Amino acid sequence: MNRRVAYAVAVAAVVLILGAVLSPGFASWPGLRAVLIVASFTGFVAAGQMLVVLVGGIDLSIPWVLNAAAIVLTTTGLGLADRLPLALALAVGAGLLAGLVNGLGVAWLGVPAVVMTLGMNGVLQGLTLGVSQGLTCGDCGHYAPQPLRDLFAGTVPAALLVWLGAALFVTVLLTLTTFGRRVYATGANPRAAYLSGVGVKGVTVALYTLSGGFAALAGIMLVGYGGQASLGLGDPYLFESIAAVVVGGVSILGGRGDYLGVVAGSLTLVAVTTVLRAQQVPEYGRLMIYGLVILAILFAYGRERAHD
Amino acid sequence: MRDLQDRLGYLVLAATALAYFAVYTTSLGRPPGSFDYLAILNTTMPLVLVALGQSLVVLTGGIDLSVGGVVSLCVAITAATGGAPGWIVAVVLLGALCGLVNGLVVAYGRIAPILTTLATLSVYTGAALWVLPVPGGSIVPEVRAVLSNPNVPTGLGWLALAVAGWWVLRRTRFGLRVYAVGSDETAARAVGVPVERVKATVYALSGLCSAAAAVFYVATTTAGDANAGAPFILTSIASVVVGGVAFTGGRGSAMGAVAGAVALTLVIDVLFFAGIDPLYQSLFQGLFLVVAVLLGTGAALLARRRAA
Repeated sequence: MNRRVAYAVAVAAVVLILGAVLSPGFASWPGLRAVLIVASFTGFVAAGQMLVVLVGGIDLSIPWVLNAAAIVLTTTGLGLADRLPLALALAVGAGLLAGLVNGLGVAWLGVPAVVMTLGMNGVLQGLTLGVSQGLTCGDCGHYAPQPLRDLFAGTVPAALLVWLGAALFVTVLLTLTTFGRRVYATGANPRAAYLSGVGVKGVTVALYTLSGGFAALAGIMLVGYGGQASLGLGDPYLFESIAAVVVGGVSILGGRGDYLGVVAGSLTLVAVTTVLRAQQVPEYGRLMIYGLVILAILFAYGRERAHD
Repeated sequence: MRDLQDRLGYLVLAATALAYFAVYTTSLGRPPGSFDYLAILNTTMPLVLVALGQSLVVLTGGIDLSVGGVVSLCVAITAATGGAPGWIVAVVLLGALCGLVNGLVVAYGRIAPILTTLATLSVYTGAALWVLPVPGGSIVPEVRAVLSNPNVPTGLGWLALAVAGWWVLRRTRFGLRVYAVGSDETAARAVGVPVERVKATVYALSGLCSAAAAVFYVATTTAGDANAGAPFILTSIASVVVGGVAFTGGRGSAMGAVAGAVALTLVIDVLFFAGIDPLYQSLFQGLFLVVAVLLGTGAALLARRRAA
């Protein structure tokens, strides 16, 4: 295991223990369950963000890919259980398609990742707001179909199993497949990877497509959790996904890191916020402490090598 | 043809201005008057200033996400205190200080710019909420009359000052060093450029520009909001991109970014007068961003083909 990933897991453990000491009920299963559920949303978006960061890219289109998928789901699902498979397919398809376009723009047209994904974010925001008419139309305000909401019921909610599945998928993909080796090779040195026969462009396109898919998945789960889709649903997840990836020990320059660290990073971020909420720290204090915690973690294991 | 990328900002601005003129005249039956130009000037000034600061950072190969937080914090203080001249000086100094903190962490802490400024974004936004928990506040009428007078184009003077500042800066040793650090940090270091000091300074300047933008923002809107800065993060990056400043650093100019900022503001007016549903606004802004960059890279590609 990568040294940074070990740090990330250690930090998550420390924050969780600190939470248990500071606020009673945090250590109980209902308390932990709540943290895990909220962390799973960050975990989904961060999975996609990590995949593109591994090849030195970045995905700024996550907020509105997520939001668009959520709206597609509710407007095609109409709250009916028998329409759910279709709605799910359309929502995930929309996310994958947005990611595919991102990937093609970055890899084949040579548009910088920041520009391509920022542009995609704007395009999807405009499309979502325009087509849904700002959710003021009659058939927009549908609730999530019941099976989706049931994912969050029970002592061990099925949503957490979905997260576990996603974690296994990403981990197996990155560590046990040729594709995974190619991802790390591309991230470490794209030129060397290209010269040794890695289809760098294809790998890049695949990763952006997956990131779109994961953002859509997060949107779907958020709809199930909240029971409804809202506009601006994805906005908090832009910077949160980047923070989770980095707190999880993934190098922002690419080539290093894995999903175990990112899971730890997501838990750390959500646990910090939850503990501060439980301590009744006002919002301004939460924001400031959140930023300072990230900064402290960066100083601990997110520094770049010295120039000599 | 190679200069086309460098002049991208001006070309895009010229095209957008032409479109604005045409759309305005056809929809209202008369060409835009002095009132319209003044309104554009006053609404675009904050973005112009933030984009100016952002471009300095991007020229060194960095990025400043904390502009959102600095603008919010400075808007909050200006509005809460009514913006008496003494407070304005204090606000501008505070902005520079916030930027300097970013610069010190990036340069001496060796933490990637995107991560440093992501963390401080949260800290500064929190501080803004602490100063101004609910939107409100005011601005001294005299300050408004000097900065963004609704009847006299006082903004032009300040815009000229900012442009002149860049012209002087670019010709100083510091200006040269900014480009040197951005084009090749290792080489710059080797020839004795104090890379750390240059980096710390550009972030401080970016903070200063954001603070000035905040004062203009309050002068134009006559009230403050602790979340006022958030939109500037992505729009300032978009301005820099449309202005032809390369994300790899060392290429482009702050004037391009200023042109990009004006063009981005004009696009909204073009859409308005073309009768396009405002809900679709960000769709066109996103397309505008990607297409502008594609034109730039396309031109560069064409130039390389012709040279070969």
